[in-house]
Amino acid sequence: MSTDARDAVEDGFGHVSRTVGTVFRYLLLVSTLVGIVTLGVLLVYVANDAIRPLTADPGWHLTFVLAFALPSLLVGGYLYRRDKSALFTGLNALGVPAVSLLFASAAAMLFVDVVPPLIWFAYVVAVAIPLVVLLATTRYSHRIPFLARVATLAAVTVASLGVVPGAIQSLPFVPQAWLVVAATLGVPVAGVAGTYADRRWGRRAAVSVAVAALVATVAAPFAGPTIGLDPLPATVLMALAGVPTAVYVGTVVVNQPERRVGLLLPLVVVAGALVGGAVVDALGFAGPQAWIDWQFLTSDHSNTPAEAGIYPAIVGTILLMVVVALASFPVGVGAAVYLEEYAPDNTFTRVVDVNISNLAGVPSVVYGLLGLGVFVRYGGMTPGTVVVGGMTLALLILPIIIISAREAIRSVPDSMRQASYGMGATRWQTVKNVVLPRSFPGILTGTILALGRAIGETAPLLMIGAPQIFDLPTALDARVGAMPLQLYVWATTFASPEFYTTALAAGVVTLLVAMLAMNSIAIVLRNKYQREQ
Amino acid sequence: MTRENMTDEASSPADGGDPTTDEMLVETSPTAGVSESDSGTAGGSRTLVEARNVNVWYDDDQALNDISLEIPENRVTAMIGPSGCGKSTFLRCINRMNDLIDAARVEGDLFLRNKNVYDDDVDPVALRRRVGMVFQKPNPFPKSIYDNVAYGLEIQDKEGDYDEIVERSLKRAALWDEVEDQLDESGLELSGGQQQRLCIARAIAPDPEVLLMDEPASALDPVATSKIEDLISELAEEYTVVIVTHNMQQAARISDKTAVFLTGGELVEFGDTQKIFENPDSQRVEDYITGKFG
Ligand SMILES: Nc1ncnc2c1ncn2[C@@H]1O[C@H](COP(=O)(O)OP(=O)(O)OP(=O)(O)O)[C@@H](O)[C@H]1O
Ligand SMILES: [Mg+2]
Repeated sequence: MSTDARDAVEDGFGHVSRTVGTVFRYLLLVSTLVGIVTLGVLLVYVANDAIRPLTADPGWHLTFVLAFALPSLLVGGYLYRRDKSALFTGLNALGVPAVSLLFASAAAMLFVDVVPPLIWFAYVVAVAIPLVVLLATTRYSHRIPFLARVATLAAVTVASLGVVPGAIQSLPFVPQAWLVVAATLGVPVAGVAGTYADRRWGRRAAVSVAVAALVATVAAPFAGPTIGLDPLPATVLMALAGVPTAVYVGTVVVNQPERRVGLLLPLVVVAGALVGGAVVDALGFAGPQAWIDWQFLTSDHSNTPAEAGIYPAIVGTILLMVVVALASFPVGVGAAVYLEEYAPDNTFTRVVDVNISNLAGVPSVVYGLLGLGVFVRYGGMTPGTVVVGGMTLALLILPIIIISAREAIRSVPDSMRQASYGMGATRWQTVKNVVLPRSFPGILTGTILALGRAIGETAPLLMIGAPQIFDLPTALDARVGAMPLQLYVWATTFASPEFYTTALAAGVVTLLVAMLAMNSIAIVLRNKYQREQ
Repeated sequence: MTRENMTDEASSPADGGDPTTDEMLVETSPTAGVSESDSGTAGGSRTLVEARNVNVWYDDDQALNDISLEIPENRVTAMIGPSGCGKSTFLRCINRMNDLIDAARVEGDLFLRNKNVYDDDVDPVALRRRVGMVFQKPNPFPKSIYDNVAYGLEIQDKEGDYDEIVERSLKRAALWDEVEDQLDESGLELSGGQQQRLCIARAIAPDPEVLLMDEPASALDPVATSKIEDLISELAEEYTVVIVTHNMQQAARISDKTAVFLTGGELVEFGDTQKIFENPDSQRVEDYITGKFG
């Protein structure tokens, strides 16, 4: 018997059929590609309408291929072959300024057009005072009873919010807008940069980093005009985009010498763009007549596509997102912590559980109706305002935030809770010191992805009575529109073949860029989080 | 997740439980009367922890069956027995960590310094601050090494020079030399054995009265093990140590008293370590110790 078997093996091992497996594998590949390819084709189509690359001079294309695309690709390819992590660093060094610039621009829009800097300053000071009191009392917490602390804090908060804004606004002199912004943004940004540096490079480096950040922010309003930027936006951009980029580059240079070469990529990309621009200007090559351009981004709506712009919708979206984040994050995370860490396991919580999962799937039109009913009918608020829209969208994404935050909290290993309880920690101490810090990146990722869903919602805004044609919203109780609503209006009320291929395409690209910028943060956070685990 | 509400059920049998009721003491025969006088078997030490008829169920499965024993103060008491016999469960009874397990139900009385820890007025959090614990699997926090050791000090709002306490605790846990320069790095980046020593340092930093150690040396190499054994002997001068171990020689080396649990959650024999290892009363214990079964 055994010799027979051995003989058989000497003839070869035989063959096992894999036909079915192969067919299955390619079917899976096809179904993977269907979605991606369709989406890709659509995006290319829309982007082509929005940018119209073919309207440019061939010389323009040639210049940019030679000065920009080729060198970037070459450097990218070189980095890829030499050291993939350096390429990754290079891509990050491109992504950090790009994304932070988008967010800084959003903040700058708010300062220029929505929140008068003086009022902003007044409220920042009014909120900072109780914060300082809070920090001071925490330091001596074991000497002051808890209730006394809460009472003091509440009194200080009320007094500060009641008195300080009025007092500051009635000051006999009015500080320059950029000075106010430089102080209120520069100090916290310098603080954050300093803390970061403290953790990596120690005390002395932290002081110099913080001072450098503050000086850069204060210097920005003077340097801005030399490159054609107004002082106020220059300050905001420096604080929120310049400083983070510099800190990232600094980290790479100091801590990852073997990846420094990756910084070549952003250098070549930026230099290529500048050189290309200069050459094109000098030789008089015309660029593409893109629909998405400065004029489109900064004008109001108009009935003619050539003059139509999306600026009020962008500002409306930013304001809505601020309200949504402020309203949904604390409530959602609070509910998640309660359900995971405190709630007893009984019928009531199981009913709540099932309901939250169902709520996550309720169509957004229904949430719009809910918002209309709750906030406008019963709450007596004006329909179509920033607050009503923001709170309705907050309701919409609340279940998503709760579910993702619960998932993040559940992924904290139980052994860590055990360790904390075993040390004699109370439940609150365990949640505060172990559970929340550990699950925070996950919670944040889930929240950002949920905000990415809210940014594209149109139906709830229609339901709560947002106007079809709207002005720049300048207050929380102003009537508001948003980017998806603007697109919807262009595609319906102003429907014409012209609009479809012009402003509408440009609007779609703008909306997608905004959404991708948010999601990119979530993705980076998640990758970092997964690597750390 | 019903946690603190275990108290009611668990303490009901102890109603009016005067810790020194004679009737009950008579039943815990081998060391009866230790809590009243200093004439205990463990070299004249007083009883610090006393279990009387402790039963534990996980849902309907009984994990501990009528355990009664007395753990002397400032001594090392070892718990040995085959896997799954309830040693960890018994340790968790002492600091009421079983409260955190939904399925667990504890009956019986457990006294710490003549106070029944299952009484209604006992705050399990306050209890755990007096009874430190090192878990079977190392479970450092995802925080820096320094913050791990200082955790107990911070949550308990202890006075004192934290830097110094952290250094002293790490030295006692035989870890200081290895981590001296990386106190700011995450405790999770240490090796398994280093993590275990970090957990020991964390447990002793806030200076508990009783230290429960669940196989603290299972992930350690011989050098670190012997350092930890030295530490335990040294700790026993000030603290009461209860240690679970699968290592017979270790139990024989470091403990003053030994409790032998056998499958089914029974306490088969409890007494002076020397006696248990040289001349046990029970044949089953002898078989277990000599490796014939278990
Ligand atoms: N959380 C729990 N839920 C349900 N049953 C449990 C739980 N923990 C322990 N048990 C059961 O209780 C019994 C005793 O477990 P325990 O962990 O106390 O054993 P042990 O003596 O420490 O074992 P080992 O030496 O393997 O650590 C086992 O049968 C186990 O299945
Ligand atoms: Mg165990």
